[in-house]
Amino acid sequence: MKYKRKEAFAALLFILPSLIGISMFYIVPYIICFVKSMFIGNTFVGLSNYIELFENKTFLLALKNTGIFTVIATALLMLVSFLIALFLNSFKKISSFFKSALLIPVVVPVASLVSVWQLLFDDFGAVNGLLTKLGLNSVGFFNSPFSMVMIIIIYVWKYCGFCVVLFTAGLSSVPKEYYESARIDGASRFKLITKITVPLITPTTFFVFLMEIIYSFKIFREVFSLFGDYPNENVYFLQNFINNNYYNLNYPRLSAASVILSLFIILLLLIFYLFERKHSFTQ
Amino acid sequence: MKKPKLLFKYILLFLITLVFLFPVVYMLSSAFMPLTQINTMLDFTNGEYKEVNLIPEKVTFNQFYQVFFRRPEYLYKFWNSVIITFPTVIGQTLVSTLAAFAFAKLRFPFRDKLFFLYIILLILPLQVTLVPNYIVLDNLNLLNSFLAIILPGTFTAFGICLLRQSIKYISDASIEAARIDGAGYFKIFTKIILPQIKGGLVTLLLLCFIDNWNVVEQPLIYFDNEAMYPLSITLSEISGNDYGIIFASGVMFMIPPLLIFLYGLKDIDSPFSGADK
Repeated sequence: MKYKRKEAFAALLFILPSLIGISMFYIVPYIICFVKSMFIGNTFVGLSNYIELFENKTFLLALKNTGIFTVIATALLMLVSFLIALFLNSFKKISSFFKSALLIPVVVPVASLVSVWQLLFDDFGAVNGLLTKLGLNSVGFFNSPFSMVMIIIIYVWKYCGFCVVLFTAGLSSVPKEYYESARIDGASRFKLITKITVPLITPTTFFVFLMEIIYSFKIFREVFSLFGDYPNENVYFLQNFINNNYYNLNYPRLSAASVILSLFIILLLLIFYLFERKHSFTQ
Repeated sequence: MKKPKLLFKYILLFLITLVFLFPVVYMLSSAFMPLTQINTMLDFTNGEYKEVNLIPEKVTFNQFYQVFFRRPEYLYKFWNSVIITFPTVIGQTLVSTLAAFAFAKLRFPFRDKLFFLYIILLILPLQVTLVPNYIVLDNLNLLNSFLAIILPGTFTAFGICLLRQSIKYISDASIEAARIDGAGYFKIFTKIILPQIKGGLVTLLLLCFIDNWNVVEQPLIYFDNEAMYPLSITLSEISGNDYGIIFASGVMFMIPPLLIFLYGLKDIDSPFSGADK
């Protein structure tokens, strides 16, 4: 492919500010980070920092929790927001009030809501009050495996509206005729959704997934504001591990943990990408 | 036959909306409660289950009075948040718009490979970038300065990817026509591109604002001096004797993003409707 020299030069000027900044604050440091992960002091140690990490119980716990959270929370969020988007789409006309109400949780700062979550989820909070009234056992959201449930609920609550808006945009781009002709052929409603809607909005789904992944790592903010530096072992995430290792400035260990976290995400994306290609018939 | 079904759907719609608005309403109404009511509400030791109480016993502005006139430290922290957020948002929008235009509409060598690199950077979580950033900031002697958050925040790939989606929808024909009329690339950028991506810009401003307004990780690591911490950190560390202002400071903290949200509301839908091609 031939490029016009003038155009390429103009493009370079437009990109230059971002390119300089990104190289300086991200690309070059990443390379440094990668190199540092193979050294202790000034001696090259190859992969031994990584091996040491995988023998570290705290790190393994953090890795496990992050894995569990990411898989369950993103899948759940995807499902819930897709269903709500389908639901909203089934109205002929709908006031924009509802859409903006759905977006409010993204807008409200994390720190503003801490006390509300405490009121709801404390051992003697409103949720437990409701559970006991219904004759169920109360649940320790702050000191049991239910901490993970609470964090997942907060995550889904917070980003659901955002994903719904993305999904409704995708749904509105599916041509109506497709549904009509399928209905004439006698397809059931469930079939319409799985055979027409889902494959046709795959690009949207991929975009939603991307956003979900990005935001799933921001859940650290909620964890931090609810639990502080040392949450209980059920919600001790990789982010906590990395954050806490800053305090003792263990560069090699930090760098190795960062590289592993990056690989984890790239792998996740790759899996989703392959899955997406296999199941969509567009392109 | 049709009517009850529709009624059921509206009830469901109402319930969904309620779930999303409830915590916010809860906090708003608590901000007007008198101290005694707050103390009982937040006292978790008396062994009784909390009831959800949305109605203040008596409406009082005491919490706001405390925050604004009696406890200047919260206002200081609020300003720290402003100092961090505004330059970052403006910087990121500026840098991203320029680059997004090139990625969306201009042709140059290695464009797609470079953009792929940007996408990878976009996906890597903050905790991964914190380490590399820390190393650079340490070398530049920027730790313990607000620039430590502002500069890396300005150069993120997020805005570029978002705006590239918006710009892609502008027709190439209008750009070609302007080229034939002899317009330079910068003129095309300011006269054709910018006016058409208002929705994308507003969305980016809002998301970027919220992201930086909620900043937690970087100050904890980059700043030794707690006086530089933004309100986002302070609010999550409020202790028992500060309950009198906990909700009012929370409300104060959510006003700026809410204002931007309400201001941009009518524009926010449009970029998303294009985001799926």
